[in-house]
Amino acid sequence: MNSAQPFFDFTSVWSSMPILLKGFAIAMACATVAIIIAILLGLIVALMRLSRVKILRWIAFIYTQFFRGIPLYVLIIWVYFGLAIAAGVNLPAIPAGIITLALLNSGYLSETFRSGILAVNKGQIEAGMALGLSRRNVMLHIVLPQAFRVIIPPLGNQYVDAIKDTAILSIIGVPELMRESKALANLYYRPFEFYTFAGLLYLFAVLVVSRGVSVLEKKLSAHSAQTTVIIDVLN
Amino acid sequence: MNSYKFDWAVIDKYLPELLKGLWITLEVSLVGMAIALIFGLLLAMGRLSPLRLTRSVANGITQVFRSIPLFVMLFWVYYGLSLKFHVLFTEFQAGALALGITGGAYMAEVFRGGLLAVDPGQREAAMAMGISKSTTFFHVIFPQALRVVVPPSVNVYVGLLKGATIVSVIGVSDMIYVAQYVSLQTFTPFELYSVAGIVFVALTVSISGFAWMLERRLGRGRSE
Amino acid sequence: MSSPVSAPDALAPDFLKLVGVSKTFGNHRVLDKIDLAVSEGEVLVIIGPSGSGKSTLLRCINFIAAPDEGEVIFQGHSWKAMSSKYNFLANRKYEQKLTVLRSEIGMVFQNFNVFPHMTAAQNVMLGLTKVRKQSKDNARKAAVEALSQVGLAEKVDQYPEKLSGGQKQRVAIARALALQPKVMLFDEATSSLDPELVNGILEEIRRLAKAGMTMVVVTHEMNFAFQVAHRIVFMDQGRIVEIGTPDQIRKTTEPRTRSFLSAILN
Repeated sequence: MNSAQPFFDFTSVWSSMPILLKGFAIAMACATVAIIIAILLGLIVALMRLSRVKILRWIAFIYTQFFRGIPLYVLIIWVYFGLAIAAGVNLPAIPAGIITLALLNSGYLSETFRSGILAVNKGQIEAGMALGLSRRNVMLHIVLPQAFRVIIPPLGNQYVDAIKDTAILSIIGVPELMRESKALANLYYRPFEFYTFAGLLYLFAVLVVSRGVSVLEKKLSAHSAQTTVIIDVLN
Repeated sequence: MNSYKFDWAVIDKYLPELLKGLWITLEVSLVGMAIALIFGLLLAMGRLSPLRLTRSVANGITQVFRSIPLFVMLFWVYYGLSLKFHVLFTEFQAGALALGITGGAYMAEVFRGGLLAVDPGQREAAMAMGISKSTTFFHVIFPQALRVVVPPSVNVYVGLLKGATIVSVIGVSDMIYVAQYVSLQTFTPFELYSVAGIVFVALTVSISGFAWMLERRLGRGRSE
Repeated sequence: MSSPVSAPDALAPDFLKLVGVSKTFGNHRVLDKIDLAVSEGEVLVIIGPSGSGKSTLLRCINFIAAPDEGEVIFQGHSWKAMSSKYNFLANRKYEQKLTVLRSEIGMVFQNFNVFPHMTAAQNVMLGLTKVRKQSKDNARKAAVEALSQVGLAEKVDQYPEKLSGGQKQRVAIARALALQPKVMLFDEATSSLDPELVNGILEEIRRLAKAGMTMVVVTHEMNFAFQVAHRIVFMDQGRIVEIGTPDQIRKTTEPRTRSFLSAILN
C-alpha cells in the first residue's frame, strides 16, 4: 500500500456513490418484489397445511421443510447454473434471483402464517360459523385480519432477512449493492472502505424497516385483540 | 432444443471429494459457532450490565452485526480487514471469523433472552441465603438459563451451517466449491448441485428436528 | 320466587328435535345418544356439572361441533352427521348447506367472541352483508337498530377493547339477533362477566323470553333458570338425566339432580 495515502480513504466511495446507490435500489427492489411473491405463496402453503385434505397437508409440509432447509447460496446456484442449464432455459439473473428469494422466504412465511392463523382464538371461528358464514368468509373476514396483527413482527423480520439475502444475488450477476461494491473494491483497491460502506447501507435499510414495522404494529394494535385474549386467559 | 445430457454416474465417481468438501463446511461452521458462543455470551453480559455505557455499546454492536449480511461480512473480513490491518487470514479462518461475528450477534440475543427468562425470585432467594453474586450466577441462574438457551442455539447453528455454504466464494474448498470445480470438467452442474442441495436439506432438517425435540424435552423439565 | 313466564299455548311439535345425537372427542364420549325436542317459543334451560356435555350439546344443534351420530331436525328438515370423514367434496358441499341452518339459529358464547378488529356496528353488519346479502347501507341501519335494542346506541362505532364485558356480550347478542334467528342458543352467557354486570345480560335474555323467542340456555344461574325456563334439562356425563318443569325439577327425587342442586344452591 502506498504510505502517502491516508489510512482510511473514502473518496473513491463518495465518487462512486451513484453506482452504489443504484445497486442499493436494485437490492431493495429485488427484496421487496420477492417478499410480496413470498407472502402470496406462503399464504397458499399455510392454508394447504391447515387443510383437511391429507395430501395437501403433506405437500405443504415437504415444501416448507425443503425451502427452510436449503441454504440460499445452494438454491440459487442450483436454479441458475443447474436447473436452467439442464432445462435449457436462459433465465435472466434478476428474475432468477427474485424467484429464488421468493421461494426460500415463502417456506419461512408459510410457517409464520400457519402459527398466526392457529393463534386466533377458536371462539372467533365458532362465532363466525354460528352466524352462518361460509368457511371462506370466516377465514377472510375473521381469522386472517386477526392473524395479520400477530404476523406483522415476524413478517418484518423476514423482509429484513430478504434484504440481507440480496447480497448473495451478486453470485449470479445481479447488479445489486454487493456486486457493485466488489467491482469497485477491486477497481480502487479499497475493499475495507467499500465493504464497510455497503455494510452501513444494509444497516440503514434494516433500521428503517424495523422502525416502520414497529410503527405499523403500534398503529394496528390501537384496537387489538389483546384485551379479548387476556379475558380468555383469565377464564 | 435442449441438449443437456444427464449423467448421474458422476456423483458416484466424485462422492469422496464431495463428502470431503461437506466435512470442511461442517468444520468452518463449528469453529464459527464456537466463536459465536463466546462472543455472544460477552455481548449478552454487556447488554445486561448495570453500566449504561457498556449496555449501549453492546446493544449497538449486536444491532450492527445482525444487520450486515453474512456475505458482506465475509468479504469485509477476508479482503477488507486483512488488507487494512495486514493480518493474513487463511480462507478458512476468515470464513469462521465472519460466521462467528454474525452468529455472535444472534447468540447475544439468545443468551440475553435466556438470562432474562430466569425468575428474578431465584436471584432473590439465593441472595437471601447469603450466596455470593458469582456463585448465584454460575450455580443458580446459568443452569436454568441453559435450558432456555439450548434449543434456539441449535437453530442459530443451523443458520450458520447454511451460511457456511458461501465460504466457497473466497476459495474454501467446501462441498459447493468441489461441485463447481467438478462440473467445470464434466459439465454436469445439475446433478452435482442437486446432490449438494439434498445433502444440505437433509442435514439442516434433521438438526432442526433435533432442536425441536430438545425444546420439548427441556420444556418438560422446566416446571419441575 | 316469581312464577315462570307463561308457557306457549300451542307447542308445535318437531320445531327443533335432536335424535340419538352422540359426540366423541378421542376416547371420551361427550354426548351419548341424546334425544331432545324443543317446541316453538319454548325456553329450555340446560343445567349440570361442568364437563357434563352441555356446551357440546349446544354446539351440536347448529353443527359448530358436528355430531358423530344422530340427526338434528329443524323445522321439518333433517340434518345428519357428516357423510364420511374421507369424502372431502361431499363434506364441503354439506358444510355449505349447514350455513343455512346456522344462520337460522343465533348463538351467544361464554367468552363473547366479538370480533376485536371490527367496531360494534361492523360486528353486527358482517352477518347481514355476507349471509343475508344485504347492502351495506341497509345492514348499517339494521345494526344500529339492533344495538339500540340492547342499549348500545352510543357505542355503535366503538371497538370492542373500549367496551366492558357486559357491553361486549350485548354486541354479541345484537349480532345474533340482527339475523332474526328462529332459535337462540346461550352458552353460559354470563359466566365471564363481573358479578355486577350479570343481571343486565340476564335481563336481556328474559326480555327475549317474554317476546316469545325459542331458546336453549346453558347457565349456572339457578334462580334465573327456575324463573325463566319452561322446562329444565339436567345433564350428567353426556346424558340427559332428567327433564321437567321448574317445579318438577325442584321437587325431584332423582338423587344426582338433587345432589347437584343442593350443592349449587347452598
